[in-house]
Amino acid sequence: MMSLKISKWIVIFSVMLASLAQASIESTLGVLPVQDSGRIKPFDTFARETLQLIYGKKSYEGVSAVEVVFMWMVLSPQWDEMDFVQIENKLLKEKLNLDIRTKRFSPNILLKKDELQVVLRDLQEKKDNKEKLNPYYQSVERLQNQLTLYKAISQGMVPGLVPPVEGTTWIAPKDLSEEFLNLFVSITKGFAAVVKDSSSLPDFEKAVQVFIERARSENIALVPSQRMIALEYQYNKVHPFQWSWILYLLSGVLFMLFFISQKEKFFLFSWYFMLVAFVLHTYGFILRVVITGRPPVSNMYETVIWVPWGAVLFSIIFMKFLKNKFLVFASSLISFICLVLADLAPVVLDASLQPLQPVLRSNLWLTVHVLTITISYGAFFLAFMLGDISLVFYALSEKKYEKHLVSIRDVMYRAVQVGVVLLGAGTILGGVWADYSWGRFWGWDPKETWALIAFLGYIAILHGRLAGWIKPFGFVFWNVLAFNLVIMAWYGVNYVLGAGLHSYGFGGGGLPFVSAFCGAHFVFATAVWFLRSQRLQKN
Amino acid sequence: MKLFEKIFKFLASLKLAVIIVVSLGVISAWGTIVESRYDMITAQKLVYHSWYMYSVLFLLIVNLIAVMVDRLPWQKKHIGFILAHVGIIILLVGSYVTRVVGIDGTLVFDIGESQRYISLIDQNEVVVYQMKNFEDSEKIYQEKVDFLVNPPKKNPLLIPIEKGQIEIFDYMPYAQKSFQIIESDKMMDGPALRFQLTNQFVNMTEWIVQMGTQPAKLSLGPAQVVLSRDANYQTLGGMNEIVLWPHSKLKKLNYKIYNKDGLVQREGTIGFSEEIDTGWMGLKFRTVQYFPKSKVQYEYKQLERPNANSVSAARFRFNGQEYWLGLNTALELYGDDVVYFITYGNKRIDLGFPVTLDRFEMEKYQGTEMAASYKSIVTVPELGVQEISMNEPLKYKGFTFYQASFQQDKMGQPIGSVLSVNRDPGRFWKYLGSLMIVLGSIVLFYFKRTRKKENVAHDVT
Repeated sequence: MMSLKISKWIVIFSVMLASLAQASIESTLGVLPVQDSGRIKPFDTFARETLQLIYGKKSYEGVSAVEVVFMWMVLSPQWDEMDFVQIENKLLKEKLNLDIRTKRFSPNILLKKDELQVVLRDLQEKKDNKEKLNPYYQSVERLQNQLTLYKAISQGMVPGLVPPVEGTTWIAPKDLSEEFLNLFVSITKGFAAVVKDSSSLPDFEKAVQVFIERARSENIALVPSQRMIALEYQYNKVHPFQWSWILYLLSGVLFMLFFISQKEKFFLFSWYFMLVAFVLHTYGFILRVVITGRPPVSNMYETVIWVPWGAVLFSIIFMKFLKNKFLVFASSLISFICLVLADLAPVVLDASLQPLQPVLRSNLWLTVHVLTITISYGAFFLAFMLGDISLVFYALSEKKYEKHLVSIRDVMYRAVQVGVVLLGAGTILGGVWADYSWGRFWGWDPKETWALIAFLGYIAILHGRLAGWIKPFGFVFWNVLAFNLVIMAWYGVNYVLGAGLHSYGFGGGGLPFVSAFCGAHFVFATAVWFLRSQRLQKN
Repeated sequence: MKLFEKIFKFLASLKLAVIIVVSLGVISAWGTIVESRYDMITAQKLVYHSWYMYSVLFLLIVNLIAVMVDRLPWQKKHIGFILAHVGIIILLVGSYVTRVVGIDGTLVFDIGESQRYISLIDQNEVVVYQMKNFEDSEKIYQEKVDFLVNPPKKNPLLIPIEKGQIEIFDYMPYAQKSFQIIESDKMMDGPALRFQLTNQFVNMTEWIVQMGTQPAKLSLGPAQVVLSRDANYQTLGGMNEIVLWPHSKLKKLNYKIYNKDGLVQREGTIGFSEEIDTGWMGLKFRTVQYFPKSKVQYEYKQLERPNANSVSAARFRFNGQEYWLGLNTALELYGDDVVYFITYGNKRIDLGFPVTLDRFEMEKYQGTEMAASYKSIVTVPELGVQEISMNEPLKYKGFTFYQASFQQDKMGQPIGSVLSVNRDPGRFWKYLGSLMIVLGSIVLFYFKRTRKKENVAHDVT
């Protein structure tokens, strides 16, 4: 049984690796080291980030980002006329006199609009006054970035292709020396040849290889090893988090099958799938850490990946001691939700690997403080999800599922305790970090204040339980509601309040989705409470 | 006796604890909303350090002490409980010590400047100096004020002076400061000129106002505009300069244009709304408005909410006239034979030694203008040259200096550094309390595990 499963996996993995190993324009040009936004990255990363910003997707009608962005560099006059600049905001389209239903527009049409200058000037005014940008202005800012970046690429101003002999700013295509220009032209020719006839790929590969080697020899100290570049390319290509959420989803489905059929076999499958998903999840993390050289918890995207990892970790540990099968279901569901969100909301959750703000460059404290706090969110998330499951049981039949309810509550209690200790410790460590780098242990910064409020919320539940105010159902009910405090501390402070010292972690968007999520849970929990009290009255 | 016992039982009760914890959460949440709508200082003064927050915290300490007394005699299983609860008390006491005797200030200086004063941004004061017969000034009034918590509309601040008083009677927490330049008839006042510089890329209109004895200088990238009182201005060279000074005809100005080597390129006179070609990058210089004698008048407009440039302002009455005084500004008031000088601003503290900013260094992420790290190189007497960088503070004479941020000129070049300076006698207690809370919670929950069965039994019933 086991060996069959493993062998299946080996097949899947080797298919994945084979698709990697097969040479293509993407795999050849993708590993060209370039300098952009403060770090050296494979051309593949640059191309994906660029296409994501301008076009809104990581590939263009089946053509890889590498190919598209390379064409922008060398064939821009043709692309200037094509509709690929994504604008989503309706108000912005109205202001620019564009068709509301159209999603993408050509750079030439946009740049010729007189209204564009007006819109950009309004944005600049907002920025000069340091006002917060609402979704409309955020989309103006995005459009500005889209057009600026496209123009910069088509005019050969980015990315840096060759390390300088002196200084740190890489030489852009338009400033290349004659020697490098010739080498670059042979890449371009090779590219054109491959597009016509794929059999000329080896020549193209050679041209790229020569360029990479020659560029490296200009200033070896400035270029990371080709293995690191290839590793990042691999990370982009394999995208372990995507495989991971697919497996978490399968694990969840298998658990449901187990629950319906009560066949132990399904549970084992569910458990193994979760473990494999967890391994991939961890692998993705390790790649990110190796590529950036820092713990991956400096923006919203990274915490959305990290928190479910914590939830799965806790559920594996709790499985060892408490052996509650619902842990597998709850944590698979959590990871599925978070990782899918991370994949599907690239505008809100920026997946790119970015350099750190100066204040975050004290790795030890950053690591300890942020990791501790966010992993506590994982524990609370677990308690919340188990609470959700309990609420479903309460709604169906409290008597029938009494046994499950008692055992789930026991796990929830444990998860809340772990969460409280970690959140308390993490908040205090945040104080220590703030004291160390700003000279202020506690400054009522909204991020730290909301961490404290979440902490107080769970403390209130634990004490209310001891005081006899919170009964077993209340414990479940309040746990589901208290998670809103965690969401506020985790997401709301950055995206709703948008103030304070932690502004380096700020972004926008996603509010309707999160509000709906919180609102739905509020309604659900209240409905179950109401249903239950009606039933109790009858008895 | 029974009543006393009842009160004690209530003070030691878990129910009170829950009420307190929930209240703290609600107040804090309210504080973050106030902060996001207004600003940090408003939230601190009106919420986090309000009387109701302090009352709840006081009640928390009472509750913690009462519950520990209630558990007497303590047993081994109480270790976690005692540690965590005593930890909270110590943490709160430590924070209070910081609040009352600690110092949390800001030191701002330009490169090359020495500074021995730090300002406390959350504490303001009003100071009045008196000058008689142009002799030395004398401080006649200095008082800490907090108009946000204690609005002068309700409680006017009366400052006694020789004859009568200065009365601060109104206050705007968030005001937009704007200035207007008006013609004056005082001999002491200098000229003011509004000019326009244009070429195909640039179109700017600026005011330049000369005050006191020194010529006014306005640097516009590679060129500089100088407005002097007389023809005696000596150029230093090194940049293009246009120097202007009053002509004997009231509505005209003399000008000289220098190049980078300090040589005169052009000279002559210019009248109202006339244009001269500067010879630099096709830039044309045009006079827009000119007052031979001028003064700057500041105006304050009330805002509903603060923005990045808003300040607070106080309104006072002197000699039957009313004035607005913005935060960190001063005004001169003329009495019959006496001049008063009134300031309203952040409270300043003398460090007792000067700190000199020798250099400011910034490292950028490769190929970008993004700051990767920055540091101040300062000189402190006795210590000599020291470096202060992010996460690497300097400790000296009980003060700790942290790198907070920096100031840039219009071109984005750093011109000064901002340090945060503090003294925190409560630090040890806060750390001790924190440690006890964390250890206590771990021990507490560990013991809970052994009592788990009991709890489960309780749950089911």
